[in-house]
Amino acid sequence: MRPASVFASAMGKYPCAVSIMHNGNTINAKSTLNLIAACLKCGTEIELVCDGDKENEALAEGAKMIEDGFGE
Amino acid sequence: MIKGIGVSAGVGIGRILLVEEHSLEYTPHEVKDTEAEQARFNGAVETFCRNTEAQAEALKASAGAKEAEIMLGHISIVQDPYLIGEVEKKIAGGTCAEAAFEEMCDMFIQVFSASGDDMTMQRAADVRDVKAGVLGLLLGVSDVKLSDAPPSTILCAKELTPSMIAEIKKENIVGIITETGSTTSHSAILARVLEIPAVMSVPDIMSCAKNTQEAIVDGGDGCVILAPDDVQLGEYTRKRERLLEERRELEKYRGRPTQSADGTVYELVCNIGKPQDAAKALEFDGEGVGLFRTEFLFMDKTSVPTEEEQFTEYKKAAVILKGRPLIIRTLDIGGDKDIPYLGLAKEENPFMGFRAIRYCLKNRELFRTQLRAILRASAFGNVSIMFPLITCVDEVREGKALVEELKSELRAEGTQFDENIKVGIMTETAASGIIADLLAKECDFFSIGTNDLTGYTMAADRGNSDVSYLYSALQPSVLRMIRSIIRAGRECGIPVGMCGEAAADPMMIPLLISFGLTEFSVSAPSVLRVRKSISCWTKERADEVAEKVMSLSTQSEVRDYLKTVV
Repeated sequence: MRPASVFASAMGKYPCAVSIMHNGNTINAKSTLNLIAACLKCGTEIELVCDGDKENEALAEGAKMIEDGFGE
Repeated sequence: MIKGIGVSAGVGIGRILLVEEHSLEYTPHEVKDTEAEQARFNGAVETFCRNTEAQAEALKASAGAKEAEIMLGHISIVQDPYLIGEVEKKIAGGTCAEAAFEEMCDMFIQVFSASGDDMTMQRAADVRDVKAGVLGLLLGVSDVKLSDAPPSTILCAKELTPSMIAEIKKENIVGIITETGSTTSHSAILARVLEIPAVMSVPDIMSCAKNTQEAIVDGGDGCVILAPDDVQLGEYTRKRERLLEERRELEKYRGRPTQSADGTVYELVCNIGKPQDAAKALEFDGEGVGLFRTEFLFMDKTSVPTEEEQFTEYKKAAVILKGRPLIIRTLDIGGDKDIPYLGLAKEENPFMGFRAIRYCLKNRELFRTQLRAILRASAFGNVSIMFPLITCVDEVREGKALVEELKSELRAEGTQFDENIKVGIMTETAASGIIADLLAKECDFFSIGTNDLTGYTMAADRGNSDVSYLYSALQPSVLRMIRSIIRAGRECGIPVGMCGEAAADPMMIPLLISFGLTEFSVSAPSVLRVRKSISCWTKERADEVAEKVMSLSTQSEVRDYLKTVV
């Protein structure tokens, strides 16, 4: 649960919408529950989409967290 | 007698307290004043968060930070923006708060349970826990007050949640029975931490047991007896007495020096994995720490811990030990211990691969950071450095050269450290055993890691049931390896300790005394037992036993013989 909740709360700080595209689904990346439900595993290919205020900052932080191994 | 799985040893005799899950039934209804309904929901969520935080605090004190973190996860569920948003929509549409929240939780429970992924499926239990908590608050049904449980209570529940454990007073609870759970489940770990006898996976216990009914819990054998007769009560009272007597007998060794029957004094220290375990080592009367595994520090993080972070943790242990020995082993990763963010490559043969000292010497920055942190902590206690998995002299020289380089760095900065800090090695490979005479000239002490030494000497993985019969420290080859390591250390005048499981094995102790081991490093709960065991032997008698053992040709002969003398 930890990586999901760490990621969701980090993204929650930004005003823009943050979502993860995976297998044609759009997942609300500010929601721990949705992230868990998506069953994303280390090594899964995903697309991170930020749209709105501070989108660049959100994208940068989110991408870094994912590259660092999703907070685990 | 009802059988379950014994998860926490000991016998408890007391009266049952059923921890009933109260009914969370309600009649869904349409709401007119949706704003008031929303406020009612917000209030329940707030209270839930406040209670959970308080429980996490209590749990942190009784069982540790890791346990508390799980509870804090419940807060992130209840505050999930998506969940909250959907609940708000439903309430705005006229659904009552109970139904709105339950529908959303059930949806996630269903999705998680159907995922087929173990980790995700386990999270369904967390959502269920949160759902029950919030619904309870909305419906105004109060929890059973576990903190009010009278002395000699046996808790009986379908499932024991961390929030329940956080509430109990451990002096009043003599046993735990649950319908679900097993040895590795969270509540089992907590029961062991709190030293409460516990039996889990007892079928239908909630319908069989009655409140205030007398009962016996045997956490060793995994059985529960409801309404025991006089014979059973007598039998288990005696068993409990015997277990307590054994404990009291061992207690006599508390506070005494560790010495053999003829007065030779040994060092009896503990293996720990976290700085706060140093306090536990002292609580069990350990005389210091012979092995501080530092992996945890790296495993609980998302990136390499900084020098400052590591320094704080090492210093914490040094300060707790107040000048007693603290041997810190540098990072021993690779093999079966992975740290995801280090990005270790998958290897064909990880136990023979890029691990421990090999990895550290190639990843200088990481190694420097750790060694600097240890050196700085050495200003606060009796700290030594230990390198794992040494196989050749070059590794020791290279590691020590780095330590010297960092010492000059710290000296130049004016940072305090122990100038005479000792640097030793784990002798846990066949190679290190064979060249122990050469290695002894290069370092300040040896510590024999019998778990890896046995595996590497026998070329046998103890986790592989087809070859685990070979895996034994009593194999003549492993015993010769141990003898020669100790002898090489003695000849060079350096102390030799042992931090593997064999150090606490009563059959091994006479041999180690005879070979000349000076330090035993064991798990904290074994301290008094090992001290007692050492006190039974004179050097003369241990020598006789060792001589006989070393003349035997097979592991089973060794074992059979030792059984007759221990």
